[in-house]
Amino acid sequence: MTRLFRTLSPTRIVLLFLPVVAALALLPLVADLSIYTHNLMTLAFLSIAGALAWNWMGGFVGQVSFGHAAMFGVGGFVAARIILWAPVPAPLAWIAGGAVAGIVALGAHPTLRLRGPYFSIATIGLGEATRLFFTYWEDFTGGSSGLSLPIDSAMKHRLYWWCLGLVVLVSAASWLIRRSALGLQLLAIKADVDAAADLGVSATFYQDLVFALSGAVVGLTGGMWASYFSFIEPNDMFGFDRSIGFVLMAVIGGVGTVLGPVLGAVVFVLLRQYLLASYPQLYLGLYGVLLIFIILFEPLGLSGLLLRLWRRLPISRPAV
Amino acid sequence: MERFIDLTVSAVLLAGLYATMAYGLGIIYGVLRVVNLAHGGVIMAGAYLGWVLHGRLGLDPYLSSPIVVAAAYLLGMFMYKALVRHLPRGPAGGPASLLLLFGFWLVLRNVAYLLFTGNDQSITTAWSTRSVILLDAHISVSRLAVLAVGVVVPLALHLFLRRTYLGRAIRAVAQNPDSCTLVGVDVERIYSITFGIGTSLAGLAGLLSATIFAFNPGSGSGELLKSFVVVVLGGMGSVLGTGIAALILAVVEVFAILVLPSYLTAAVGFVMLVLVLVFRPGGLFGHRVLG
Amino acid sequence: MILFRPSLLAMVAAFLAASMIGATAFAAAPPSKVSVGATLPLTGSEARIGGFFKEGYELAFEQVNKAGGLKVGNQKLPVTLTLLDDTTTQATAVSLADRLVNSDKVDFLLGTYSSHLIEAQSTVAEQYKVPYINGGGGATKIFKRGFKYLFGTISPVELLGTTLMRWIDIQQKAGKLPKPAKIALLWENTAHGKDFRKGVSDFVAQSGGAYAISVDESFALDGKDFSALLGKVKAAKVDLFLADAHLPDYITMHRQYVSSGMSHKVVSYGARGSEKGAIEALGQENVNYVLSGVWWSAQLATKPGPSRDFVDAFKARYGGRSPEWFQALAYQSARTLFSAIEQAGSLDREAVRQKLAAMKQPSLLPGGPLEFPAAMGQQAQNPFVLQQNLPDGNAPIIYPPDVATGAGVAPNPKSGK
Repeated sequence: MTRLFRTLSPTRIVLLFLPVVAALALLPLVADLSIYTHNLMTLAFLSIAGALAWNWMGGFVGQVSFGHAAMFGVGGFVAARIILWAPVPAPLAWIAGGAVAGIVALGAHPTLRLRGPYFSIATIGLGEATRLFFTYWEDFTGGSSGLSLPIDSAMKHRLYWWCLGLVVLVSAASWLIRRSALGLQLLAIKADVDAAADLGVSATFYQDLVFALSGAVVGLTGGMWASYFSFIEPNDMFGFDRSIGFVLMAVIGGVGTVLGPVLGAVVFVLLRQYLLASYPQLYLGLYGVLLIFIILFEPLGLSGLLLRLWRRLPISRPAV
Repeated sequence: MERFIDLTVSAVLLAGLYATMAYGLGIIYGVLRVVNLAHGGVIMAGAYLGWVLHGRLGLDPYLSSPIVVAAAYLLGMFMYKALVRHLPRGPAGGPASLLLLFGFWLVLRNVAYLLFTGNDQSITTAWSTRSVILLDAHISVSRLAVLAVGVVVPLALHLFLRRTYLGRAIRAVAQNPDSCTLVGVDVERIYSITFGIGTSLAGLAGLLSATIFAFNPGSGSGELLKSFVVVVLGGMGSVLGTGIAALILAVVEVFAILVLPSYLTAAVGFVMLVLVLVFRPGGLFGHRVLG
Repeated sequence: MILFRPSLLAMVAAFLAASMIGATAFAAAPPSKVSVGATLPLTGSEARIGGFFKEGYELAFEQVNKAGGLKVGNQKLPVTLTLLDDTTTQATAVSLADRLVNSDKVDFLLGTYSSHLIEAQSTVAEQYKVPYINGGGGATKIFKRGFKYLFGTISPVELLGTTLMRWIDIQQKAGKLPKPAKIALLWENTAHGKDFRKGVSDFVAQSGGAYAISVDESFALDGKDFSALLGKVKAAKVDLFLADAHLPDYITMHRQYVSSGMSHKVVSYGARGSEKGAIEALGQENVNYVLSGVWWSAQLATKPGPSRDFVDAFKARYGGRSPEWFQALAYQSARTLFSAIEQAGSLDREAVRQKLAAMKQPSLLPGGPLEFPAAMGQQAQNPFVLQQNLPDGNAPIIYPPDVATGAGVAPNPKSGK
């Protein structure tokens, strides 16, 4: 991955990034976007943020979690409960939801010792157990009837910028982590835990940290989701399909990269909308096939493909 | 007292099914060091195949089991040759193999969905509602049959692994693949055969489970996790260990109704999985799952 | 080149003028059709019932169009239905509703199937002030949010529990059931199951000790193994077995119920019982005397009226097959919307909404005229009909008395004890 940075200097990346963000931020104000497109983009931003956060754990540390919906759900319900309880501004409720989700993520601490497949399977178990528990805890989540929030059209409209802001924050954080000492430490853990420990990189501390942060951000997106839909229910929020979604977005885009989850989330959301219109029954299978192809042929997913294309362009050749 | 007998009988019957499922997952892991995340999908496929044979040809599930086993075996060989073979072996291949097989599970799920729609199905035969009375407890005939198969098959497998040349070759490859190549064992062939055996057991378990439970294309994750609990708890390569672990899981699940509300008993398997992985990673018989 | 400029300017001016005139003409043009949007779970876990609802909607639309269209003011306009698949997923149901309203610009919305989808989707309708007729989600919670644009033709599921208990009460007062009677209450942990449970437990609480609920447990949707739960029921030695489950769970649970040797004085699975699929899967003898309560039954067509007209039209359209409550509710929802539009005489959403709120018309639903009482959140309160499977293969309506086509049997002759 460092090769990418050699050809694309940090200033270049920031210069590319800022105009895109500015354009996206101004888009609804200058163009006559249909409400439908506006909302679709909001959801896309939300998915991107979640995928990026998942990737910290799944890509940077290399521990693939199939249970992230647990944090998503906790964040969503905590935020919803706060909004229902007191006239707290929604963003504060989201942050509170994220914080609680991060703490809940720490509850998975004992499983972080496990490597590879054992960790992943443990996360499936944790995710499902969490779903059943919270569905049963009616007083908190409303059980299978779920929770309804008062409709706030203005907030739903503004969510576009809130979500965009979150994407900017999370992608900046991803990029900074990747380039920093922390990123190197995570890479060391990913490559060889024991060797890393020998070098003084405490696996437990860093994994806890990353898992908690990853969970907190995903929890935050859960709160925003609640504000968007004005109705959430535990089977949906904590569902296995939702956990799978995070995995698919990050892996299809390129697990371990910064651009990967962004691409993956965009493709995921758009493909879903398209398929829903014409071939709703195919979308899971299609993702399965994509996943297989990616693992076999291009482990860095879509961003890997882009990288290959980029290498063919003249601009990417280092100045001689 | 009657309640206690009922519960114990339930647990024993369930244990047979769990043992068969777990063995399928365990043998693949033991020999190839790959966790077959599509295990649940193969179980589901076995269930559907049995259902189709029953619906179209009127074949009683117990009679169609050889067909299902053979078909699942072929599926496993295909999975190995087309997909798993390309992965690097060992810890380096970890997440990749998981995701690859997970992708295949999604494909299986979708294929089943396209062919059979998402509705719940089950195999109903004349036996489905019959029961025998044993020790004052009503025991469903189907479950008894499942137990019988669940005991016979792992035993047969155990004998196969101990007594036949192929079985010994498989065990040798599990211990040290490189040395096996040196002495002329075709390791790749052993791998694909073992994968096939693993999936054939999964398919059989699916067929059996279809006679007592309902299933749909999304089924399989619970079975995967329970198989994993049994494998980790019982240690791989030990039929006795697997059997005891299966019994422990079944007993805990069934007796949980005495202390937990019914809705939460579904979570017992999942919680046990996490506890087993965290606290007793070596299983009952000391095999390591860490590192 | 300068020579061309004035003519170019003239052309542009002419074009602009033409388009402006065209635009105003277009804007002032009267509507050419009535556009209704809906999503249904055509794939996913509720696909089976989603398909039934589709049949009901399509029949209603076809009928109106065959009669020349819907009378709006002094025109007859065709009605179109834009039906999308929400794959039984909440987020999709909401996104598609958003699209229908804001992109496809439908005039009105018809509901999807399943309470949790409706609860989420109705927020879109309320937000954009689009009348939304719901025939597929009976959970009372949906109607407790003070929404003005949501109308439910489907009665609360609690009433199902209440109606069941009322019939049981009549049997108990006639001495056919023990007093006090012990009840095992098993319910699916969904909005539907919870409401059913509430109906039963509220009735029991007000019965002054005539009933006691010995077992009160929820189970997971699409659960597999009910043996432990049924073991608990068996150990509790109850008289009445009341459960609420979806069709697959009903089949699985009842199969395990029968093979465990149980047979209670009254057995009910809520809205399930008389489905052909269940009878095939379980065998006639095992479903005998099972009670079920439904919003509508084809048996209501034995007397002339809207039900009979509906059943005749359905059979003619779908090859002699008899409809169930799913198609009936969908059909009625569409018909009620059409009625309101005709009464309003326009496609103005506010006008139609007011007509819906004031609606009071006979329908194919049992009980009195169809209304949307504001006090109940605009959810209809029509009673349920109870059916019982009899050994001769029929499932007559046994309650309420004014629409009954047969007599109910209690206690279950097989219960023996």
